[in-house]
Amino acid sequence: MGLHIKNMIKSFGSNIAVNDISFSMEKPGVFGLIGTNGAGKTTCIRTILGIMSADSGKAEWNEKKISRENLSFGYMPEERGIYMKTKVLEQLVYFGTLRGMSKTDAKKSALDYMERLGVSEYRDVPAEKLSKGNQQKVQLITTLIHNPELIFLDEPFSGLDPVNTNTLNNLIHELVLEKRFVVMSSHQMSTVEEYCEDILMLHKGKSVLQGNLKEIKKGYGHTNLIISCEQDIALYANEAGLELISRRADESEYRITGDEMAQSFLKKLINEGIFPIKYIVKEPSLNEIFIQKVGE
Amino acid sequence: MNQIKTVFGYTFRDAVRKKAFIISTIIIFILILVLTMIPRIINTFEDDNTDNYVGYTCYYIDEKELISGAKETLASSLPGIVIEEGSADKISEYNNLLQENKNLALITITEKDGLPFITITTGDFMSSVPSEMISETLTKVYVTNTLNKLGYNETAIETAQIELPYTMTFTGGMNFSGYTVGILLTMLIFFAIYYYGYGVSMSVATEKTSRVMETLVVSAKPSRILIGKCLGMGAVGLLQFSGIIAFSAICIKALIPEDFLIMGMPISFSAFTIKSALLVLLYFILGYSLYSVMNSVCGASVSKIEDLNSAMMPVMLISLISFYFGYVAAVSGSDGLLTKIAMLLPFSSPFIMPFKLLNGSVATVDIILSIVLLIIFIIIFAYISIRIYSASVLNYGKKQKLWALYKTKL
Repeated sequence: MGLHIKNMIKSFGSNIAVNDISFSMEKPGVFGLIGTNGAGKTTCIRTILGIMSADSGKAEWNEKKISRENLSFGYMPEERGIYMKTKVLEQLVYFGTLRGMSKTDAKKSALDYMERLGVSEYRDVPAEKLSKGNQQKVQLITTLIHNPELIFLDEPFSGLDPVNTNTLNNLIHELVLEKRFVVMSSHQMSTVEEYCEDILMLHKGKSVLQGNLKEIKKGYGHTNLIISCEQDIALYANEAGLELISRRADESEYRITGDEMAQSFLKKLINEGIFPIKYIVKEPSLNEIFIQKVGE
Repeated sequence: MNQIKTVFGYTFRDAVRKKAFIISTIIIFILILVLTMIPRIINTFEDDNTDNYVGYTCYYIDEKELISGAKETLASSLPGIVIEEGSADKISEYNNLLQENKNLALITITEKDGLPFITITTGDFMSSVPSEMISETLTKVYVTNTLNKLGYNETAIETAQIELPYTMTFTGGMNFSGYTVGILLTMLIFFAIYYYGYGVSMSVATEKTSRVMETLVVSAKPSRILIGKCLGMGAVGLLQFSGIIAFSAICIKALIPEDFLIMGMPISFSAFTIKSALLVLLYFILGYSLYSVMNSVCGASVSKIEDLNSAMMPVMLISLISFYFGYVAAVSGSDGLLTKIAMLLPFSSPFIMPFKLLNGSVATVDIILSIVLLIIFIIIFAYISIRIYSASVLNYGKKQKLWALYKTKL
């Protein structure tokens, strides 16, 4: 059961865009497909969905080959595209019927999603008159209108303001609660960290890291120390051999070799009469792992 | 099939709601109305009824009495016009009056080469004084006077001035109406094929450049989108084309007088049989299908809408050359080798065959052969176009050669 990708290869001439990719998603949730621009994320999705034919490999959903004909999946492309001159509801019904829905069902579903995403008032307005954020919501409805079980969202948060990001956040959480399988491509690591249990990191078409995000992070151990003190501790940190990762307004983040280093640094600060307001020992962020992997 | 139907329905609805479609249809209908009203307008002006000239005054000067009794005859022939005796001394005064009043005219009879010479003066060239009728009346009076003097009796004089009625008939299939309608139809088919082919191209290019294609290809195969789109635009073309033909037929029936002649020939639509009308429609559909699949590739090959015109150039050139080839072969009236080629070549046959059909000079075997060749070409070009279209709709990078796109694994 679920989504299974096995040894997927797709090339354009001598350029191998997707190089032997395999992954599985056996339970509902959000799967993260991450990589830099041009890493092959979009080609990977298009090949999985059968929009482009693979040179070799298999993409199966519930043990059946994925194609437009035998699986009504949802796909929101990275490049948004809706009919600007056409009224919102009319084009949503069009996309719905193109997915095999009856006009009545498509209209009902479109109105339901418009209500959920707060764009009901624009049902009879041409898309060109909507703000970019609302246009993106319309695009999202075209993806979800037929209530697919398997959903691919290619960079869903790009270009969204905080309010619309929050709306989309809520919707993705609702989709997960509704037991949908969501594959989300992004190069915004914080977004992926928030949603994805499992990830696949692509670099130049190849998988450089994949698996359960918690396990991956666990494998790196405790490598970061976030500390906030009223006094300046830069000198002590330097003496203790801590490498500064970033200094923010009210805290600093250091790279550590392990828990022992963090503990000895804490003891030293206390001995000096400095009591930290914040003291967090943690695994590396996905962003750090990403930079490390892609920079290798 | 459902997806083709859905794309077809959307394309059709979208196209008929466009201002360009509505405005162009209205303009064409107005043009048809005006054109078919012309014969009636001409007939009105050709009427002998001079009531239209009520309020006109003509000063008549014939100091030497070169055409005696002309003033009285003019007054009786043109009852709406007042004929006043004028004086040669007042010519400059009359000229001033003519400039002020457009309903005035001056008729002067002078002698030239031993014959009366008629000069009709009006305020400007826009004056609608019936000059032809005046000169005809004066000529008749002069000839009557001269024959009287020579001793001919009334009957002989009347006989001498009779104008015999005439009409022209033709033994071949080609007649004036068929020829004119054939040329108009050839042009109409060319413009319809070009215009709606351009519509397909523009629609595909717009969907690609606005990235709607990204959303569409997720739901339907590119081949289905292409077929639905071509059929949708074709139906719009067919609707407008049929509308134009139907409206023309109504206008012709209602507005053109039955006895109206052009160059002595009556207007006849005898060549427009049900068979020829259906075949004309079929050639339009097939011609449109061939060019629309070619145009769709042009639309799919561009990443920016401003590149569309240059991308369309090859297809535009083929259609223009084929149209002129078909047109010249049609109007030449010959049945030589070039005409035969134009009739059978799928690119030009949709332009020449309707003309030939309306002028009754085409063999059944040529009709069948040209239709079969058109269908074969449509299938081949549709296959190639679908391959190239499918490969190019999601290609936004460097422009690829058609051959490379054709060879792309789908």
